Amino acid sequence: MIKSKKTMDARGGGPGRISKEEIINMVLRRKRPAHETEGSGPLLKLENLVKIYDTGAIKVLGLKKINLTVDRGEFVAIMGHSGSGKSTLMNILGCLDRPTLGHYYLDGVDVAEMTPDELSDIRNRKIGFVFQSFNLISRTSALKNVELPMTYARVPKAKRVERAHMLLERVGLGARQDHMPNELSGGQRQRVAIARALANQPPLILADEPTGNLDTASSIEIMELFRQLHKEGATVVVVTHEEDIAAFADRVIRFSDGQVQSDTLNTHHPGEGPVDGMEDILEEEAEDAD
Amino acid sequence: MLIENMKMAFSAIRANKMRSALTMLGIIIGIGSVISIVSIGDTMRGLFADLYKDVGITQAYFSIGYWVDDVRQSDYFNLDEMERAREAFSDQIAYIDSSAFTSDEASYKRTKIKFEYQGIDYNYQDVQPVDMVYGRYLNEGDILGRKKNVVMDTDSARMLFGVENAVGKTFRTTLYGSTDDFTVVGVYRKNMNAFQALMMGGSNSDKGSAFIPYTLLTWPNDNFYQLHVYAKDDVNLDLFFSQFKSYVAKMHGRQPEDIYMYTAMQEMTSVDSMMGGLSMAVGGIAAISLLVGGIGIMNIMLVSVTERTREIGIRKALGARTRDVLIQFLTESAILSACGGIIGVIMGVGLVSLGGALLGMPVVIKPGVILVAVSFSAVVGIFFGLYPASKAAKSDPIDALRYE
Repeated sequence: MIKSKKTMDARGGGPGRISKEEIINMVLRRKRPAHETEGSGPLLKLENLVKIYDTGAIKVLGLKKINLTVDRGEFVAIMGHSGSGKSTLMNILGCLDRPTLGHYYLDGVDVAEMTPDELSDIRNRKIGFVFQSFNLISRTSALKNVELPMTYARVPKAKRVERAHMLLERVGLGARQDHMPNELSGGQRQRVAIARALANQPPLILADEPTGNLDTASSIEIMELFRQLHKEGATVVVVTHEEDIAAFADRVIRFSDGQVQSDTLNTHHPGEGPVDGMEDILEEEAEDAD
Repeated sequence: MLIENMKMAFSAIRANKMRSALTMLGIIIGIGSVISIVSIGDTMRGLFADLYKDVGITQAYFSIGYWVDDVRQSDYFNLDEMERAREAFSDQIAYIDSSAFTSDEASYKRTKIKFEYQGIDYNYQDVQPVDMVYGRYLNEGDILGRKKNVVMDTDSARMLFGVENAVGKTFRTTLYGSTDDFTVVGVYRKNMNAFQALMMGGSNSDKGSAFIPYTLLTWPNDNFYQLHVYAKDDVNLDLFFSQFKSYVAKMHGRQPEDIYMYTAMQEMTSVDSMMGGLSMAVGGIAAISLLVGGIGIMNIMLVSVTERTREIGIRKALGARTRDVLIQFLTESAILSACGGIIGVIMGVGLVSLGGALLGMPVVIKPGVILVAVSFSAVVGIFFGLYPASKAAKSDPIDALRYE
């Protein structure tokens, strides 16, 4: 009897068998209480962030110990070629994916160990997505599309419709709120998507190649809209591989091989400097075509 | 949120009209056939109940059990015993006779037809009413005076005499060895619907039948095999019949278990439970088609989930939780299935009503059956929608967004 009790005590008090990996995780992912930091400090903070893709046979290192901070109100472009890890970073920043190691604080909250439903909630309230292929729900009016994030946030119907209408007015599509996505041009669809991204007044606007499917004129319109949102105080992160799109941002972070290659400030925005922005872009496009 | 989900479900169902209609078809056929078969079964039971009511649900026969080996002279009845029984149970007995039947050839001019004669008392029409069209029923005078008068139905009259109104006509027949002339005093019309005629062996029988005074078939010193009793309407049949059985046993120095009792009630109950079992069994087979319909729904929902992978990804990226997606797809399959169920009910009820109208029979459609059918179809939708919906709900938003 006594012996068995001792064994139990020893088991209860001892460290037990924990793998090395788990210890690393425990140290790296010590959660900070949300209320201490939420709403203040940097909007995005990445600490020793590592992403490993486990494809079964081989493990691919997607992101190698990223440390990055984005403050509130910044307009950041994340650049890199395909395979540079910028899409992986975009998925983690958008709370669509979780880091393998390290911390990601969004609005002061560590999202590394949240459940899929908690992540859904974070995406709903804190992130406004703008995708390359617009990702509007087909056969659903522009207004309904803009309402959708508010529907999942359980906003009452009347308030939802009012705000969706206001947002569509804001992006210049008030008259087209009842149009279906396939009745709108690419630029108009992307503006609906931006209105949708703003629906729950998220602190972060996250755009993934937002002009990838648009012609030059629409691209400029969309980027001007982002600049406008930035001037009004929104934090905008645009992931792109195009220099002329990145040129609209205040800060350009270049990615290569899963690591930050450079982090520079950009003061020369298209249409603001001595060089005409439009011509500049067209010139570069011509170069790209070669 | 529920209303939102229902709106989304309806728009998704509308978006693929043809596919939705075909998917529903399985449920429509399933529910339609369950409703029709159960209703046909219920209608048949109702018809049987009516049939037994016409036959006389309060009647019973009593005799010595066919399983009794040492049948004695005293196991038979005589008219004295019958009168004593009538008096002993005067509050319960509506009618009693000696259950006398015989048959012989009846001849009128050149026509010779086999006739069946049932010996009755004058008040037989109280318990077994008939629709007299010509003449009168047998009266007390006929019975007590042992008059050679008969009452027959119109079909028998037409067969023997060539006319329906045979009142006053006489024919010749032999009862228990003595040949006599009998006079028709009344003619009645058999009122049977198509179903009853079918069950009773049809009206195109080549035999005639007639009622004659039982006193012609059962003489005061005769022994007869069984008593035929009708209880009054307000009597507790089970109690009365068991009391009467004991009375008969005691009268003949037997135990009640030696007496054979045959009641219309037990016959009807057994037919009814057989019919009930039959319609349950066939309904169960029809319910298999519901299962097939449900699998159809699951199949289509799986296709739909795969097709809408990207939509699911978008919804998840915008903040839809696992539960939101699950409920959205469950709502869709439940609505698909319930719509099929409602259409199936309409078709089933329509079909049964049409059949009833064509056959000129009132049909029984129980509201409970409709309720159960529609709720069952919704349950089928939810059950078979569960797997596709959970597949949709669990999908990873990154994979779903990457899906083309």
